[in-house]
Amino acid sequence: MSRSDSPGVARLKALIRAQEKAQRPRLLAASVTAALVSAGAVLLLGLSGWFITAAALAGAAGPAVAHVFNYMVPSAMIRFFAIVRTASRYGERVTGHDAALKALAALRPQLFIGLARAPTTKALSLAGGEASARLVQDVDAIQDRFVRLSTPWGAGAGLIAGVGMAALAGWAPALVVAGAAALGVILAVVIGRRFAEPAGQRLQQASGALKTEFAALAAAAPELQAYGMKAWAADRLAEHGDAVEDAAERLARAGGLIMASQSLAMAAGVAGAALAAGAGAPALTALSMLAAVATVESAGTLLNALRQNGAVKAAVQRLGELLDEEAPALPVAAASPSLRLSGADLAVAPPQRLAITGPSGAGKTTLIERMMGLRPASPGEILHGDADAAALGAEALRPLFAYAPQQAVLLTGSVRENLRLAAPSASDDDLWAALEDAALADRIRAAPGGLDASVGENGARLSGGERRRLGLARAYLRPAPWLVLDEPTEGLDAATEAQVLELLSARLHHSGQGLIVVSHRPAPLALCDAALTVSGIDADGRIQISARPRQAAA
Amino acid sequence: MTAQPIAPNAPALDDTQPAAWLKAALAPWRRLMTLGGALVIADTVPAVGFAAGLALAVGALPQGIDGALPGLGLAAVSLLARGALSHTAVKVNTRAARAAKNGIRRSILTEALSGRLSDAAAMTAVVEGVEALDGHVARFSPARTAAAASPLILIAVTAIVSPFTAGILIFTLLPFIIGMALTGMAAGAESRRQFQALERLSGLFLDRVRALPAILAFQAETQQSRVIARASDDLARRTGKVLKVAFLSSAVLEFFSALAVALVAVYCGFNLLKLLPFPAPEQLSLTRAFFVLALAPEVYQPMRRLAAAYHDRQAAESAVPSLRRLSVEATRSTRPPRPGQAPAIAFHDVAIAYDGAPVIEGFTLDVAPGSIVALTGLSGSGKSSLLHLFLGLSPLSAGEVMIGETRLSQGGDLTDWIAWAGQAPVVIRGTLGENIALAHRGATPEAVEQAARKAGLNGALDRPIDERGGGLSGGERRRLGLARAFLKPAPLLLLDEPTANLDADAEAALLPVIREAARGRTVLIATHSDAVAALADKVVRL
Repeated sequence: MSRSDSPGVARLKALIRAQEKAQRPRLLAASVTAALVSAGAVLLLGLSGWFITAAALAGAAGPAVAHVFNYMVPSAMIRFFAIVRTASRYGERVTGHDAALKALAALRPQLFIGLARAPTTKALSLAGGEASARLVQDVDAIQDRFVRLSTPWGAGAGLIAGVGMAALAGWAPALVVAGAAALGVILAVVIGRRFAEPAGQRLQQASGALKTEFAALAAAAPELQAYGMKAWAADRLAEHGDAVEDAAERLARAGGLIMASQSLAMAAGVAGAALAAGAGAPALTALSMLAAVATVESAGTLLNALRQNGAVKAAVQRLGELLDEEAPALPVAAASPSLRLSGADLAVAPPQRLAITGPSGAGKTTLIERMMGLRPASPGEILHGDADAAALGAEALRPLFAYAPQQAVLLTGSVRENLRLAAPSASDDDLWAALEDAALADRIRAAPGGLDASVGENGARLSGGERRRLGLARAYLRPAPWLVLDEPTEGLDAATEAQVLELLSARLHHSGQGLIVVSHRPAPLALCDAALTVSGIDADGRIQISARPRQAAA
Repeated sequence: MTAQPIAPNAPALDDTQPAAWLKAALAPWRRLMTLGGALVIADTVPAVGFAAGLALAVGALPQGIDGALPGLGLAAVSLLARGALSHTAVKVNTRAARAAKNGIRRSILTEALSGRLSDAAAMTAVVEGVEALDGHVARFSPARTAAAASPLILIAVTAIVSPFTAGILIFTLLPFIIGMALTGMAAGAESRRQFQALERLSGLFLDRVRALPAILAFQAETQQSRVIARASDDLARRTGKVLKVAFLSSAVLEFFSALAVALVAVYCGFNLLKLLPFPAPEQLSLTRAFFVLALAPEVYQPMRRLAAAYHDRQAAESAVPSLRRLSVEATRSTRPPRPGQAPAIAFHDVAIAYDGAPVIEGFTLDVAPGSIVALTGLSGSGKSSLLHLFLGLSPLSAGEVMIGETRLSQGGDLTDWIAWAGQAPVVIRGTLGENIALAHRGATPEAVEQAARKAGLNGALDRPIDERGGGLSGGERRRLGLARAFLKPAPLLLLDEPTANLDADAEAALLPVIREAARGRTVLIATHSDAVAALADKVVRL
């Protein structure tokens, strides 16, 4: 099965195996206790049947026989098995979940690092809602897998205990018990293949279709409202919803069918064991009948695990594919901060300040993202010193830049956590100074908790302008050679804009950082001593740029 | 910039408990759910049959295998009946779940398309939120019904055969029930906390994956992986403790049931041996003893099944808040008559906020009747939200918008006044003509034809189009949107990014059509495009 694994899947499987090894003591404890649970349950039921029957026979044979009948040992064993079953069930659940939680605590950060090291474009495509939600579900599926690792041991122990007990009545009832358990598993596997798996796949497809359709119609909500088409859209979505429910219903019915098939296996086991054991030793016959019931039941736990395994396999596959192409480990030495843009025959280096202008949609943001290695550059387009940006890895380029994008991506957490992303060891004074320079300090000071105030999910508790300025303050805190700002003063009134730019200028003067600023407003551009205009992206992906005299920028 | 404190999310509109809300929301399917519960209760009949069959067979064994055959037959038939019955119960219960999920989804779909929640949140409610009801209807609810009735039925049957055993069962059932109520509550609270802890951890991981662009830009991969490691560790430790308590309470329940069965077994054994240390209240035969012993575990089974289905209930309850917000009935009802001429529009100090998150604040603007105003600005600056105000798709949280003499806040439905075109017009399966005619029911074929020509859609109006817009180019699709606007006699035209994602030539070809569509109407255009903004009498940058 590992023959066709892609490198990422193989790597993920190796990580999972490493965790299985690391958690071996706990997993072993879970397996042993799972085995005790099943064996205890089977022995308890079988022994009870034997005890009652033997006691009845002894009682019927008269007081003399009854008094010789050794009731102490069996009745003590019945109580003992009841306690063993209960205690080991508790042990199994605690150790199994403990192992799963610990394994995933180790796996999650490794997975995250793996995702972050994927080629930049791939890592960034994950930032979308659907993809990342799927990812989290897949990780949770792997966690469940660790919990279920002990199930086969339980089923196996149940089978051994059941067959062993039935063997007391002879080899034939033992065979019947084993056969009934096998029949139950085979029936369940067949029904699963035939009904449950296709229904499961259809369920996933139908859910995906519903989501796609919903996204499309939600985006068109104003048009639907304006032309009275909402009822139509709701009907359409309801149809897709019905397809989801149809698949879910089929899946549930397949589950019901599997349960019914277990009853069939149990009936075959009970009747078969009784007939095979015969009436020679009634107590042992009763024992093997009840052993058949308990064995088929304990084999049933395996079915759930089997059914979930498909989901886990799919999850490992999907996650592994994300880890497939780890970005090539190129020289980690930082590239030169001196920048040359071949298209405009322009060379700049800190502490120079470069303005980038151009009409909406011409590719200004794309240009700076290529400079920073967040997108692949065209060969020869951008040079860092003498090195071509296209040939340098993102690892070499990223240390050069502190970037405040138009739409800052914020962590769900406090203001402090968001700022510390850029400067893990910054003091509170540094943080306040950066907020001050971004004209956000008053706002944060007024918020309950100050730096500890939560910004909500992706900054939902801040306005668009406040999010941008928090992004600005964050970029200020990173001591990189270049500060890259995309529309930094958008949405500010003229007085605040002037204040922010004055503080920015002082900050740059103090730090010796270079500035690259994208803006359509005159004030930020007036800070700069070089300017270039982006006019579009040509057919082979190169950005068309031209240098402009400094006055034109202002 | 404002100095208001960072506001917590607005409190929920309706504070009824999730359980009460669920009960009310599921009321229409109560009968089907009751039937499902009854079928689960009916499982007691074959359970009794199986126990009786086993008992008869074992009881007859001392007389030879032939005497055991009828009992074996009864046991086997009962098991098969049990399988068939449980299959039927699953069928009925999943049908109830399907009906309930479909019904609730249908009831929230209209609101889900009404901008009350973000698109992502609405999608989660419509897909995952509705799906979370499945276990509640299909498993938890019948399990709860069965847990209330089945044990009593089985104890009553036991009492017929062995009153003393029934007494033992009642005696142990009482602490079981009290224990279940106490630890069940504790376990419920614990497992709710565990559910939340797991959700928080997943949420943290999800958030960091979403924030990868920023994390990569700041080279904070290692730092953030440490954050994730610390949070995972911390939660593993805390959840571990929580789970121990939760598992302990279920272990206590299991212990009670095991103890009860062991007690019954020992009593029966001693009774059969006639060695009871107290005067025997009854004399059991092997058959009767075996019967009550086989039935005893069944008494506790429904309650254990209920405990196992508990997380289904929690999943449903945690989905309630988002479902509840979408099931609020729309209140806009009055439809003020459409004015004959293009009205003036005045925004006074308008603010729009979703759940306390401000999108735009203090917006003031006067739009002359029949003029074109372009709204420009970065994404997220509130352009689209301002247009959505007129359709009731975004909330006017402060200020007022006057449209002629009509106040937007008075709550009338202004849909009749508005023609709309956006960047991705909706396409339905049908002909091009049918697609245009959607904008104005009752329009004559000539009017549709004229709207198509004005929008520059040439060619046959009866050409077929599929839902994915097959047969239409990107430019033609925009023209379809504009043709709808031409067809609808509305004095207000709202255009949201009418040329986004078109190349320069296609955009230039569309501009005269937009100008023509604007004739005689008051027009607001949200756009990034300088060329489109150039059509306007006034450009407002947000």
